Amino acid sequence: MNSKIIRKLGFPTLVFALALLPAFGVIGKGFTSHVLILILLNAAMAQAWNLIGGYGGQVSFGHSVFFGIGAYGAAYAVCVGGNAPWGGALAGIIIAAVVSVLVSYPCFKLKGHYFAIATFAIVEIFNRLFMVWDWIGGALGLDYPILKDSWKNFTWASDKTGYYYGAVVIFALVFAIIKYLEKARFGYYLRAVREGQETAESLGVNSTRMKLAAMALSAAVAALCGAFFAQYNYRVDPPTVMSLDMSMKFVLVAILGGIGTFWGPLLGALVLIPLQEYTRAYLAKLGSGVDLIIFGLIIILMMEFQPGGIMGILSAVRKKAIAARSQKPEGAR
Amino acid sequence: MSMLIQVVLDGIWSGLLYGLVAAGLSLIWGVMDVLNFAHGEFLMAAMYVSFWLGFLFKLDPLVTWIAAGAFLFILSVLSYKLVVKRTMGKAMAPLLATFGLSMLIKNFAMNRFTPNFRILSDTVMDGKSIIFGEVVIPVPQFVVGIFSLVVLGALYLFLTRTRFGWAVQATAMDAEAARLMGVNTERIFLLVFGIGGACVGVAGGLLPSYLATHPDIGTLFGLIAFMVVALGGFGSIPGALLAALIIGLVESLAGFYFAPVYKYVAVFGIYLVVILVRPKGLFGW
Amino acid sequence: MKRTLLAVVAIVLLIAGAGAQDKVIKIGTLFPLTGSVATAGQRCQAAVETIVDIINGIYPDLDLPIAKKAGLLNGYKIELIKADHQGKPDVAKSEAERLYEQEGVFAVIGSYNSSASKPASAVAERLQKIFMCGASSSAALTERGLQYFFRLAPTDRIENVEFAHWIEELNKVKAAGIKTAAVIYENTEFGKHAADEAKVVSAKMGVKIVADVPFTPGATNLNSEIQKLKAARPDALFAAVLGADYSLMIRTMKQSAWKPKMAINYCGGYQDPKIAEQMGKDGWGFMGSAGYTPEFGSRFMKAVAPVEKYYKAKVGVPFDTEKVAQVLRTTTFDSPLSMGGKVQFGPDGQNIKAASVISQLQNGSYVTVYPYEFKDGDPIFPMPNW
Repeated sequence: MNSKIIRKLGFPTLVFALALLPAFGVIGKGFTSHVLILILLNAAMAQAWNLIGGYGGQVSFGHSVFFGIGAYGAAYAVCVGGNAPWGGALAGIIIAAVVSVLVSYPCFKLKGHYFAIATFAIVEIFNRLFMVWDWIGGALGLDYPILKDSWKNFTWASDKTGYYYGAVVIFALVFAIIKYLEKARFGYYLRAVREGQETAESLGVNSTRMKLAAMALSAAVAALCGAFFAQYNYRVDPPTVMSLDMSMKFVLVAILGGIGTFWGPLLGALVLIPLQEYTRAYLAKLGSGVDLIIFGLIIILMMEFQPGGIMGILSAVRKKAIAARSQKPEGAR
Repeated sequence: MSMLIQVVLDGIWSGLLYGLVAAGLSLIWGVMDVLNFAHGEFLMAAMYVSFWLGFLFKLDPLVTWIAAGAFLFILSVLSYKLVVKRTMGKAMAPLLATFGLSMLIKNFAMNRFTPNFRILSDTVMDGKSIIFGEVVIPVPQFVVGIFSLVVLGALYLFLTRTRFGWAVQATAMDAEAARLMGVNTERIFLLVFGIGGACVGVAGGLLPSYLATHPDIGTLFGLIAFMVVALGGFGSIPGALLAALIIGLVESLAGFYFAPVYKYVAVFGIYLVVILVRPKGLFGW
Repeated sequence: MKRTLLAVVAIVLLIAGAGAQDKVIKIGTLFPLTGSVATAGQRCQAAVETIVDIINGIYPDLDLPIAKKAGLLNGYKIELIKADHQGKPDVAKSEAERLYEQEGVFAVIGSYNSSASKPASAVAERLQKIFMCGASSSAALTERGLQYFFRLAPTDRIENVEFAHWIEELNKVKAAGIKTAAVIYENTEFGKHAADEAKVVSAKMGVKIVADVPFTPGATNLNSEIQKLKAARPDALFAAVLGADYSLMIRTMKQSAWKPKMAINYCGGYQDPKIAEQMGKDGWGFMGSAGYTPEFGSRFMKAVAPVEKYYKAKVGVPFDTEKVAQVLRTTTFDSPLSMGGKVQFGPDGQNIKAASVISQLQNGSYVTVYPYEFKDGDPIFPMPNW
């Protein structure tokens, strides 16, 4: 249902509507704005992962490394350099893309679980190295000084409208890139590689180069999201931005929504983030960890009954509806 | 010199422990091609079984490992029936489903048992050590090491010397063909998952004799078990033992001669280096 | 730690109560109720809830004026809004925002982890709301020039000065001959700060640091860490080790048949009576800071009445953060529930009367050994061997 409406309206309309929201006074202070921003940010993160994990078929648990590099880029510029975050964020994005290529090139040799476990190892190595790297704060992390509200500093004390616009821009940018790639030659090649590396190569597709390009783009976008995250939270430290927990967020949102689908990451974030934020705030009475128990159950059930995620459910529902409609005349007769 | 011997011995004890923890994971992976993400949480569950039996009935981990193993056999069989079986064969679905399971188990423990650290005092082996001059051999780690060798050896013999073991190997190579040859692969999967769980149950049952039990204890052990299994190669028991020893030694040597904060960097680093040279692990094919 | 929190709450509530318009004052708590340090967080939460119960209800048996009647002043009740930051800085930040903006709390008490207190108090500062910090020990927290941030607990800097005095005292009185020391600490915000301060203080005393051993918390073993310490043979050991790692550390030390002359702990595993009980004899002889002892409490239970009366008279102000912050900054409070006995905030928001005592675990109970005016026993030195 939902996807039908979205599809009818189309992606540009959605972005337009999102951009207009503040005009209706919905965005500003408060928890709702916070949840909306997180939804958009996580949708963008999951979409970045989706590029390599969904369209490229390489299940990476290493995206927090790139996310973290982006976050550190922005935070370093502000906290140590005393500058605006923009240059640092850009540097972080470039470094993340380079690192992703350097790290992925050897790892693409690995298949299936071996690749997944290697990405675990990479996250752990980066996490622990950043923990002892005093130049960027080590285990202490970097804390933002209190700055004036402005677009230049990209910080706002209590009004979240600026952050919201930032999140909308990132969301629109990432989704637009994917939308474009879906139709572009690169997208077809990438999916061909996912379906069968040997077949694709026999048709003249350089599979390694395709995957590396996808990984670099994915890492760059992840780093952009990381920079936003640092600005939003006034702080970076390795356990927060560069950990398996953070990596799992990329993967879970994408998978819940539906791997390799355009709308999947948004739908995943729409379900997961409110669940995460509101259960923490309002289920606390039931004792600790209840939200995560529910979370775990949802993941298990989703994997058992619909590994295609929410998009899978929607398409199943639609198929059923179509089947029911086409059967009706027969029954009437 | 005695320091080097000490450090190497410490590495061997840790390695043997990792081997024991990873044995079940290796078996499951080898036979079913399923990476059980909840493995570390299984270890944690076993530790709680052993802790509570020790706390409430004053039983020593030297006895309660049997109960922990049995409990984990049941938990594993249930996990297989309820989670793994329904997701097998769907790409990454089992991995993610067991990730969900790990969240479920960990937070259930958090909710029911609180995040408190629980320590068994006055266990038989606690704090005992054998001293040879400058070199100290801690008894609990030594005993866990013996258990590790026995369990891994038994698993190996079971797989290579028994009819059931052959059926398991046949299933591992080609489940479809095995089924056509009259092997009840469903029963094999069930038992393999159960036995894999029981192995980690034994490890978890012994650990409270010197480690504190808490809901987070399984995470790092689980991660290291992944490394051990992937480094050893696709379901190879000797491979897992060798990999575990390498990881234990690297951890200990790097920790002592370089700096303790780098010990896990070295562990994960050596894994990456080896896996890039041998993409299927040391004993993988 | 629990004591300090009780004091924090009492003060915040008294002040806030003075100006509330309706008969309910909302106070937020922000602790790690889940996650790896949840044990400590839940204790902090319980401490706050205890004092709120005492304030809201009538407890004639307690020797506290706030206990004798229901509510504060003319019957203002406290409503606690609890939030959980899971030990994660980003969650701490968004929960702090939710508490102030959504729940409309007057002040927030938190956050145990220094890494969570930092972003959460930055939120408070940006919103110009009061943030009361009970138990985050990182000295850096009060070096940020915040206007609305107040901390009651002693920082690890204060603790370290205490440690230094103590070691000098031991060298003098017991001819302890402590010339070298080693630090072992978890490589986190908490451990790192404590260790950095320990190094500064040692340098000042002329004690040489012979081993500097950070480790990753939640380790599967601490063998190489303890071997490194053992190989360096320090006279004294400074340890900033939490919970499960603390018990692992002691057990590994025992198994390695090694003990320094003295071992002194920052808050963490040592302070946890549960762990102390479970460790049994193995934990005896170790020392640590600010370990609360029941004897201590009974000696310092004086009236809160003057505080309350004082506020009734003086602070007839509306519910105004600015004025309350002003009062907090300029007043010295009697604080019968805190170690220093008094609370006074310096311009940086640090409680300059925060005191820290050194205790030693002897025969299963915490015995305060230093400073002498607080002591209830003599130290056992050097530590008896295993």
